[in-house]
Amino acid sequence: MNLYETVFIVRQDSTSAQVEALAQDYIKVIRDHGGEVSKTEFCGLRTLAYPIKKNKKGHYVLMNVQSIPAGINEMERLMKLNENILRHLSVRVEALDPNPSPLMQQKNFQIDRARSFDDEQDDLPNLGEMERE
Amino acid sequence: MAYNRENNDSQTGGRPQVRRQFFRRRKTCPFSGQNAMKIDHKDVRTLSKFVSERGKIIPSRISAVSVKKQRELSVAIKRARFLALMPYVSG
Repeated sequence: MNLYETVFIVRQDSTSAQVEALAQDYIKVIRDHGGEVSKTEFCGLRTLAYPIKKNKKGHYVLMNVQSIPAGINEMERLMKLNENILRHLSVRVEALDPNPSPLMQQKNFQIDRARSFDDEQDDLPNLGEMERE
Repeated sequence: MAYNRENNDSQTGGRPQVRRQFFRRRKTCPFSGQNAMKIDHKDVRTLSKFVSERGKIIPSRISAVSVKKQRELSVAIKRARFLALMPYVSG
């Protein structure tokens, strides 16, 4: 029995009910293989950092899973076949975190603009000459 | 070593003095020691502190992250990019 964290993104056209139904399907698959899903988070519709298949937003779902590898493989296989799921990622972890994940807490994401690293890199004299051309 | 490089650059004379405020880096890795931040690929706010304006990962010689943690951090940032929580290229 291994511990996994799975995140998947559902298309924005789906309703919340459909998203929950989808999650329930996968929970059933895991249970059939003798595992259990301890936490399911429906983080809601979030704006994606870049469009995926022309979708700008998606429903994020996070699941904490304890299962044998065969169960996770089966679940991932089904996710690949489902056309409503844009991305999925399962990561093996050492301990499951029961608290709400940062995905739920950080609904509004902002990138800190404190870094001037890029300005430094662009300051190279060679680039300046090329721009003049 | 970064401080030495800074002195050499003032000899070439081409660079503005912006670098000095930038290279005033922390002595310790922000992810090591007690009360350290955890590296989580879902935690966009922490990860975005180690990413430049264009979205590039900042090297550890500037951000003072230890080698092992820098590798974990870069894996986490790449996972976050895959999950569309962070952009590959921004601005």
